[in-house]
Amino acid sequence: MPWPRLRPSGDRAVLVEFENRIDPQVNRSVRSLALAIESDRFPGEVLPAYRSLMVTYDPLQVDYQDLLGKMEIWIDRARNIELPPGRFFRLPTLYGGLRGPDLIRVADAARLSPEEVIRIFSETHFLVYFVGFICGLPYLGGLPEEFQVPRLANPRTVVPAGSVGLAAGQANLVPTDQPSGFNYIGRTLIKLYDPQAFPPNPFIAGDQIQFVNVSAEEARKGQGRWATDFL
Amino acid sequence: MKAWQVLNGGIYTTLQDIGRPGFMKYGIPASGAADRFSFRVANLLVGNPLETALLEITLIGLELLSLHDLGIAVTGGDLSPTLNGIPLAMWQSLSIKEGDRVAFPKRKAGFRAYLAVQGGFCGPKLLNSRSVFTRGLMGSTIQAGEILKTEREILSSFSPKKILPEMVPPLPVGNALRVILGPQEDRFTPEGIETFLSSAYCVSPQSDRMGYRLQGPPIEHRKGADIISEPVAPGAIQVPGDGLPILLLWDAPVSGGYTKIGNVISADLDCLAQVMPGDSLRFCAVSLPEAHEALRNETACWERVKRTIEGQG
Repeated sequence: MPWPRLRPSGDRAVLVEFENRIDPQVNRSVRSLALAIESDRFPGEVLPAYRSLMVTYDPLQVDYQDLLGKMEIWIDRARNIELPPGRFFRLPTLYGGLRGPDLIRVADAARLSPEEVIRIFSETHFLVYFVGFICGLPYLGGLPEEFQVPRLANPRTVVPAGSVGLAAGQANLVPTDQPSGFNYIGRTLIKLYDPQAFPPNPFIAGDQIQFVNVSAEEARKGQGRWATDFL
Repeated sequence: MKAWQVLNGGIYTTLQDIGRPGFMKYGIPASGAADRFSFRVANLLVGNPLETALLEITLIGLELLSLHDLGIAVTGGDLSPTLNGIPLAMWQSLSIKEGDRVAFPKRKAGFRAYLAVQGGFCGPKLLNSRSVFTRGLMGSTIQAGEILKTEREILSSFSPKKILPEMVPPLPVGNALRVILGPQEDRFTPEGIETFLSSAYCVSPQSDRMGYRLQGPPIEHRKGADIISEPVAPGAIQVPGDGLPILLLWDAPVSGGYTKIGNVISADLDCLAQVMPGDSLRFCAVSLPEAHEALRNETACWERVKRTIEGQG
């Protein structure tokens, strides 16, 4: 694993960048580094992402150069960290129509029929690389090569909870109504977010998700249930 | 304790405190009072702990009827606060009586005002904070007819305090925000960076606590606007495919997949709370040491204000 690149992201965070690709092995390095930093009880936030990780710091308490020095130690320690195994979720999903307004566009861009898009997508096992955005949106990898579709140039101001989408080589699942620049091809009716609970979302990095193509009747059975009922 | 009846909720009034630091990795935005200086001063003036929840009032319309004798303070943007129709002095605490009316009828300067009450505003505590974040299903805006309660019983003794007018930070002149370029400055052409640093950008009506969408000359990318999604923090300036920057703010997502041309420095974030749709913004680049120096200066200014208030008993 090549040494990551460190650079400031604003005046109170450092961004650690591993190789610039969505890859399970690269993401394991990110998650290992997050564990190494957290086990050292550093007083800042640690947010692991696909291939990068941000650590926030208080510039009044921590010197940036000192932080870079600490980071080298953490990166070194991360090499010997064992990551816990993930879980496998099978989420009932409705594809196309009003539930997936971008299905036709994705099919055209991928030069596939809408039925082929649904078949390939619903058979894929997606890996949760990290949770982020708002309300713990899981960022998913494992999108088949066929689906090379860019983000919307002008993001939508709101897409409904449960929407399943893709863009720029990534897939995602929207936990609550929220803005997004992704293309949406389906929707699941299960509950993906609860601010009264801790943690407020069911997925963690390392889990896997399959978006199983089901009938409207079957999808309704899952309505309002928590995602861990579908392990 | 019942403290207020809401006569008019205003256009966007929410409970805010210091927000939800520590929940980023669960995909939960920071939230919290947009103008941290005004938030802390308001609490200090009424003798509350600094992190106590208060009302963040946007632009116009909030009208409250007090249901008890209360100690209050109003800080932040000047929305012409009144007490029973008579102008109410900002940046100082005062005692009001049961049956008094407090209103925010007209914007004079700034965009967001803060109303603190002795004993603190009560509201549901979700993920360690009372800050309302509507998109995250955490609380909602204040509505007419609601009864607002205080968190703690109100002490009988209340000694008014104030800060001097010269201690109130001036509203931004020319709205020139200092930024640290990057982390994707190399994804823009030199002309694109020049456009960003030399143009005025207008805050669009499609702006809220999550972010300000800016209108002005498009910023030119070298090749594409997409990156593999990565963590972002309040102050980040994303540039999507149309070249128009989006300034991410207090309720912003914790990750994003558009190239970022820069981040507004911490010392300049408070003043963004007082910028409204239609205002124009400019950007200038500074170094990391300069940003940290600016933050130390801002902190020293706050410490002086804190000593002044605490010195009044």
